[in-house]
Amino acid sequence: MPRPTISLLSKNDIELIHEKALEVLEVIGVRIESRRVVNLLKSYGLEVSEGNVVKFPRDLVESKVKDCPHEFTLYDREGKPRLLVGGDRTYFNPGSAATKILDLRQNTIRDPTLWDLRDIAILVNELENIDAQSTAVVPHEFPPETRDRVRLYPLLKYSTKPIVTGAFTVDGVHDMVKLLSIFISDLDKRPIAIFDVCPSPPLKWSEVTVENLVDCAKYGLPIEIISMPSLGATSPVTIAGALVQHHAEVLSGIVIAQLVRKGVPVVYGGSPSTFDMRYGTPNIVAPEALLVSLAYVEIAKYLNLLTHTYMALSDTILLDYQSGVETGISALVACLRGINVVSGPGMLEHESTQCLEKLVLDNEVCGLVRRFSRGFNIGIEELAIDLLRDVGPGGTFLSKKHTVKHFKKEIYHPHILLRYDMREWMRRGSPSLLERAKQEVEQLLKRGTRELPPSDLLQELNRAINGILRKFGITVRELP
Amino acid sequence: MEDLINKLKVAIIEGDEEEALKVTKELLERGIDPKLIIERALEPAMKIVGEKFEREEYFIPEVMLAAEVFKKVMEFLKPHLGQEVGEKSKGRVVIGTVRGDIHELGKNLVATMLSVAGFEVIDLGVDVSPEKFIEAVEKYRPDVLGLSALMTTTMIEQKVVIEELKRRGLRDKVKVIVGGAPVTEEWAREIGADGYAANAYEAVRLVKKLLGVE
Repeated sequence: MPRPTISLLSKNDIELIHEKALEVLEVIGVRIESRRVVNLLKSYGLEVSEGNVVKFPRDLVESKVKDCPHEFTLYDREGKPRLLVGGDRTYFNPGSAATKILDLRQNTIRDPTLWDLRDIAILVNELENIDAQSTAVVPHEFPPETRDRVRLYPLLKYSTKPIVTGAFTVDGVHDMVKLLSIFISDLDKRPIAIFDVCPSPPLKWSEVTVENLVDCAKYGLPIEIISMPSLGATSPVTIAGALVQHHAEVLSGIVIAQLVRKGVPVVYGGSPSTFDMRYGTPNIVAPEALLVSLAYVEIAKYLNLLTHTYMALSDTILLDYQSGVETGISALVACLRGINVVSGPGMLEHESTQCLEKLVLDNEVCGLVRRFSRGFNIGIEELAIDLLRDVGPGGTFLSKKHTVKHFKKEIYHPHILLRYDMREWMRRGSPSLLERAKQEVEQLLKRGTRELPPSDLLQELNRAINGILRKFGITVRELP
Repeated sequence: MEDLINKLKVAIIEGDEEEALKVTKELLERGIDPKLIIERALEPAMKIVGEKFEREEYFIPEVMLAAEVFKKVMEFLKPHLGQEVGEKSKGRVVIGTVRGDIHELGKNLVATMLSVAGFEVIDLGVDVSPEKFIEAVEKYRPDVLGLSALMTTTMIEQKVVIEELKRRGLRDKVKVIVGGAPVTEEWAREIGADGYAANAYEAVRLVKKLLGVE
């Protein structure tokens, strides 16, 4: 089955960068800002120098890389296997933890709420090319220390798709596991969520993220290690230099995870960016950032590791020419290279803004690139010689069984992106792309199946979330 | 019998020719009136297909395949219908793509949909000269003449045919409808056509409206 691909590094390039990263880990080391984790690493025999800088010997790194699983299954809320993360399969999920929402119904950019996340959950549940949910926005109406965990509530309530999430408090993981466990008791065997943890470049793990990393590993939850060098600001400006640093940071996370629990699923991720030297902004889908991602993905695949990146998003603030082209190019790169988990759809403005209308449009962009990347089959059935004989010169294929049988699989049919002609467009009242996207959002929200869990589980979920909030002295009148 | 009628409906909707013919045969063997088979199974099935198409649940190939099966079943029933078959037709339509234009997809779709809707369709093919259209009108005495053009450069031929009909005193003998990608409602009015439709389903509605039939 021919499939288009994209490639960047030679074997020599990969080995050189890997070698340099091993050197960095052994000679320079990584700072760990958590006493608890430093002590833990000491107990495993690691050398810790002044300033809590931990050195990672190369043999240890290489053996821990080998302990990572080459694939794992993500389950849904009902315990059914849903996504087999591995190989060159690409799964899209919305860009996560946006602190703003571009609200096109009110025509404003505002703070997101948990109600917005409910809408996103309903949409994602319906969108065929968005494979997993993500805790996509940070609900501002809740106190900061509760915002990570409350986000699971609408996702678990309104959708069965697996979840990409993460904590941003030291103890966040425990409450989140509590919520997930309502549905699946053996999360280490049947995980329904991936947890993102991000080192703080250069070469540092903050207290929160490294504690999250250790906690997730203890629970046996799949972990996505997302290094985020910003070229010229938090990493060398040269792509090769950023790559060495990125690789070293992710490897350090892999070692910690595998030391805590051998065989815990780890996804090698990232969110590299260029640092705009005029405005001080991180640009996630700048071409140089895409090169960093493409390169680390190749290194990871060479090491038999699972991969993740932030693509299928845009750095601009509105839905326009730039948002389309950046989303499309990056989604295509991700899909062509077979990056396993891709976070991004719906996202704008340097990973800070979510947008429902963009999400439904991105679903179609993901559909386009996914179709292109799939290539095509060449078999007797596909070669269709019998059909050609049957139709003969000058005939038509439209009413043939062969056509009916294959056309929906062979041809992807977007329905917001315009495929009809000017006349049909005018007949429909000449709706702009934005209007069509808005209409789609409205329709999906209306007909969204709202796959509520059985009432006993829903009651338990409500009890659990209210219990968690009470711990922080909060009572909520109504949850979405 | 209800079971079999339903089975036949499903077979047509799903484009399963073999099953459709098998069930039709069984219905006839049980002595069911072929007219009843058409009214209760064939027509409702195609109505459902049309609705599915308009909801974008069915795409063109599924509609075409269902129409093919419909036609096959009709042909199979024909000998059993006796002379009523002529009365059954809702009207006669002559259709063709105009001179200099060899696009036939849209025209074929319209022809298929019209025949499925119960009209007798005479398809003159593509690159049809005004003389051939006139000849056909004189020969077949159709209720409706359909002129298809896909290019802006051949659209003008629709006007030529209408002028020719006028010159020969035939214009009031037949309703003329026009269609094709560049054709608009406005153009239809300008050249003195009786109607315009944007797609095959609209074309069926238009013809029904013009002839005052359901």
